[in-house]
Amino acid sequence: MKAAEFAYARALSVADAVALLAAAAGEAKLIAGGQTLVPLMAMRLARPALLVDIDGIAELNGIAMVGDTLRIGAGTRQAEIERSGLVGREVRLLALAIGHVGHGQIRNRGTIGGSIAHGDPAAELPLVAVTLGATLLTETSAGAGEISARDFYLGPMTTTLPADALITRIDLPIWRGRVGAGFHEMSPRRGDFALAAAAAQVELDGRGRCRRAVIGVGGAAPTPIACADAARLLEGRTLDDTLIAAAASAAAALTEPASDSHGSAEYRRRLTAVLVARALKDAATMARAVP
Amino acid sequence: MSEYRYVGRKRRTKEDRRFITGLGRYVADVTLPGMSHVALVLSPHPAARIGAIDTAAALALPGVQAVVTGAEIARHTNPILHGLALPGVRWYPLAVGQVRYVGEWVVAVVAASRHIAEDAAELVRVDYEPMAWVGDPEAALAPGAPLVHPDHGSNLFYRRTFVWGDVAGDFAKAHHRLASKVYWGRSATVPIETFGVVANWNRGNDLLDVWASIQMPKYPDQMAHCLRLPLNAIRVHYDVDVGGSYGVKRGIKHSVLVGYLARKLLMPVRLIEDRLENMVGGDMHGPDRRFDVTLAFDADGLIRSMKMRALDDIGCYPGRSPLQLAKPVGAIVGPYRIQSVEYEAVAVATNKTSQVAVRGFGQAPTNYAIETAIDRVAAHLGMDRLAVRRRNFIQSHEFPYRIPSGTDYDSGDYDAVLTKTVARAKLEALIARRDALRAEGRLAGIGFATCLEPSGGNGAFEPLFNPANDTTTWMESCQVKVDALGGVTATIATSTAGQGHQTLVATVTGEELGFDPDCIRVVHADSLQALPGNSPVASRMAIMLGGAAAGAARQIKERVLAIAAHNLQRPVDRLVYREGAVFDLDNELRTLNWAELVRIAHRKYHQMPPGMEPGLQASYVWEVPKGGTMPTADGRVQMYPCYSFECHIALVEIDRGTGQVAIRDWFMGHDCGTVINPDIVHGMSYGGIAHGIGAALYEEFAYDENGQLVAGSFVDYLLPSVHEIPEIALVDHCTPSPLTPMGQKGSGESGYLGAPAAVASAVNDALSPLGITIDRLPMHPSRIEQALADKRADMGEREGP
Ligand SMILES: Cc1cc2nc3c(=O)[nH]c(=O)nc-3n(C[C@H](O)[C@H](O)[C@H](O)COP(=O)(O)OP(=O)(O)OC[C@H]3O[C@@H](n4cnc5c(N)ncnc54)[C@H](O)[C@@H]3O)c2cc1C
Repeated sequence: MKAAEFAYARALSVADAVALLAAAAGEAKLIAGGQTLVPLMAMRLARPALLVDIDGIAELNGIAMVGDTLRIGAGTRQAEIERSGLVGREVRLLALAIGHVGHGQIRNRGTIGGSIAHGDPAAELPLVAVTLGATLLTETSAGAGEISARDFYLGPMTTTLPADALITRIDLPIWRGRVGAGFHEMSPRRGDFALAAAAAQVELDGRGRCRRAVIGVGGAAPTPIACADAARLLEGRTLDDTLIAAAASAAAALTEPASDSHGSAEYRRRLTAVLVARALKDAATMARAVP
Repeated sequence: MSEYRYVGRKRRTKEDRRFITGLGRYVADVTLPGMSHVALVLSPHPAARIGAIDTAAALALPGVQAVVTGAEIARHTNPILHGLALPGVRWYPLAVGQVRYVGEWVVAVVAASRHIAEDAAELVRVDYEPMAWVGDPEAALAPGAPLVHPDHGSNLFYRRTFVWGDVAGDFAKAHHRLASKVYWGRSATVPIETFGVVANWNRGNDLLDVWASIQMPKYPDQMAHCLRLPLNAIRVHYDVDVGGSYGVKRGIKHSVLVGYLARKLLMPVRLIEDRLENMVGGDMHGPDRRFDVTLAFDADGLIRSMKMRALDDIGCYPGRSPLQLAKPVGAIVGPYRIQSVEYEAVAVATNKTSQVAVRGFGQAPTNYAIETAIDRVAAHLGMDRLAVRRRNFIQSHEFPYRIPSGTDYDSGDYDAVLTKTVARAKLEALIARRDALRAEGRLAGIGFATCLEPSGGNGAFEPLFNPANDTTTWMESCQVKVDALGGVTATIATSTAGQGHQTLVATVTGEELGFDPDCIRVVHADSLQALPGNSPVASRMAIMLGGAAAGAARQIKERVLAIAAHNLQRPVDRLVYREGAVFDLDNELRTLNWAELVRIAHRKYHQMPPGMEPGLQASYVWEVPKGGTMPTADGRVQMYPCYSFECHIALVEIDRGTGQVAIRDWFMGHDCGTVINPDIVHGMSYGGIAHGIGAALYEEFAYDENGQLVAGSFVDYLLPSVHEIPEIALVDHCTPSPLTPMGQKGSGESGYLGAPAAVASAVNDALSPLGITIDRLPMHPSRIEQALADKRADMGEREGP
């Protein structure tokens, strides 16, 4: 379990990083917290010729609210997000999800950008980004770009991100009003990747009916999925158990889970329905508590 | 109050400071100048003929020193020994002619660094011609099944049906018979440290020096046999800290390979398995067992007789693993007064990695099978599960108690321990909590297990299963030496895999000599200096090493008394030894202190009793109590001498939606006789329960339909973490063993021997209102949820129009 030979370069800025990526012509890989890449390299499942270390780049760090958007630098540590009061107040869904990412030790090093770029279909942060419709800001030597998280994932660990590109920032929409969020996952042990995960966020109107809702499911398809049709079922209606169950089974119907030693496809599909219902219930309860 | 000053007191262990401050010295810390590193080429096939092996590209890589194949190894070494006589089953460190499981070692690469060795291993080209293979043990027994070892002619490695007592008569007399079937999935102990070995051929002395992470009886003997060396040409350094084992650190093939390479290359060679090598081909999977149990019992819960069939999938090479079906013969009726037993033991080869000894040597699966059968009897009769157990417990006045398979249990008080534990658990309140949860619509259950831990291990299972083996000696030894300044040093004959032997020996020696154990040094001999021993397996060291240390220390006392008697001119029986000094019972002023006695022994031969050996040292080699007998023709035998008892009470809750089990409460009552160090015993129990919870709920070396191991790393082999293990309340009880110097019994397997059964009992109790039983470990959430879903579908159908 020793990595194959590689070269290493430390990028001092975003410009520096994209220049190094461009020069390596597809043979380089970025390393941020290393919590995914290092094990993959040790098992020789990843064998980049050059590692471009972006871990120390100050301009990639930080959490800020600008209008109705929460901007999180791609290099921000997961632990910092977990501790952030701003995240806790403004994007509750992210705050609920982040504690499920591995263990404290992993979140101390792992970054939000690394998780989103890696794109494990069961990972929590890509799920939150897809559910909320986050915008990913990118940079290449040719210039800046942006892409919606909902268009970012092509399959397990495959994204539309070009090999010479860097994610610089993740912009999450802030919902205001009677908003509630819920996040539930089933992982065999605490800290494991989820066998299935569900994220939900709702906004209620003054009479307690659902004004808007988003539902996302992870671990049950090749990518995290936003279940727009299931969410639409809720709009304009009161979130009672029957409605929630209907939305949950609509969401589960969208999944294409795989079978493995931890559970069959049918198991994961049933799990999805259970978890979506729980997430929606939590979201509704939270929203109702908002005056 | 205990009669002991140090034994049984809560005292710091001797070794923890070293481990906690990072000062342990493990095999990976042994670095020798010019040392080379080994990496392995593993078989990707469950079975294939090996064709051409092209090593040229690997050899051409700078830094590569050798690339070795199975053919070369087979020319220069003898096959590794098995516990059974199995003609045609030849086991070498590297596959010869064919591979037999995914992960089997095919080629070894030696290079200047492990990185280079792995680079080179990727360049080795092996031509494989895939062959038919078999992964299911029942299928492996069917006629025409692919043969794992074609030269052996059969996949059946062992089968024997033992009948002890009047099984037919007892079955005829009983009112009821109830059959159950349970499956114990393939798991193991998975230490943080994988197996590692460093070897160096000492050319000046024609001696092979070996440092290894081992816990293996007769390890040097086996290496000598395989490497065709005299036993005294191998020096195993037992002072290497072993980073965990509980049975699995056998490493014979690793050590033969590295020993061969070190001699061939005349340089130090090291192999430290990485996690992938360890899990897929390191010979570290435990029992994988199907049980059929039928109990014959009366309407009042009295169990008369048992039939048990245990079929074990032992994987490819047998090693000692089939003997894991033999060891439970010594506790085949558990703590119960069952009068007769039929036991069919079947060991089957499959195309999977080889099975190895795991904590309890087969006892935990057997206990799980027995306990499940007992629970089913209770359910069948509508009786309380503990009432059935109490109805059948051997009573405290019945010891020593001979069980049908010929073993005497030394002592115990099962009723008392259970009563104490029930009180501590406030069982009535616990039941009320369970019922309150159920009333809220949740699935909650309480589990019980009452089991034995045979301890003080001998090898009686060897002659029982292998008539060619007539070994009945299972000694352990200790040497105690008093230096010229009065310091005490004890030397032990084995390495330590976390059992705390230094604490054990210091405590026992300190107790005997009346010295603070902190002042007693304990060291490990190397195998050339060591007195004979059998390594710390089989829950034996508190008994065997403790007994040997006590024996040696007592000899020291006798010598000191003899010296005092000579110098004080008093008969020995009028003298008393106390904390190093000797006093005259008739005149307290006449005394010799430790310094004076030691000076006489070491420096004043003129004051020594005539004929007495100078210096002050003693060694003691102790045969296991009740050892030294061969099995009878019908397979009755005195297995281990001492029997510890444990009882578990656990409350669990199952998430209806996910099938996930959460453990809410855990109580374990434990009687291992006299406790020598409470922290060590409690640590064993905590870890053992965690290990058992892993086996019951999480850990499984599963293979897929292509013969590939799907749990080959910690991503898929799920060890429970601190989050999954509940608070555990331990309830101590002491029934001393009459067979040991201080009444101690073993506790190295405590917790693990009953926890899986208790989890299963609790889960099945939680599911019982739905009429669901789960009879397979580990009880993965998906398996439980599937059963719940099937039930819902079933009910829906029946309730439908
Ligand atoms: C034991 C363990 C348990 C874990 N459990 C979970 C879990 O439950 N849920 C979960 O989601 N994750 C889990 N992880 C993964 C963890 O969250 C990682 O930290 C995260 O996935 C990657 O972040 P990183 O900063 O460490 O990225 P790295 O490992 O450094 O990089 C990961 C990938 O992202 C790329 N990358 C990194 N930063 C950027 C960027 N700014 N722009 C473009 N590409 C980039 C890298 O090139 C690489 O391909 C676990 C990890 C471990 C070791």
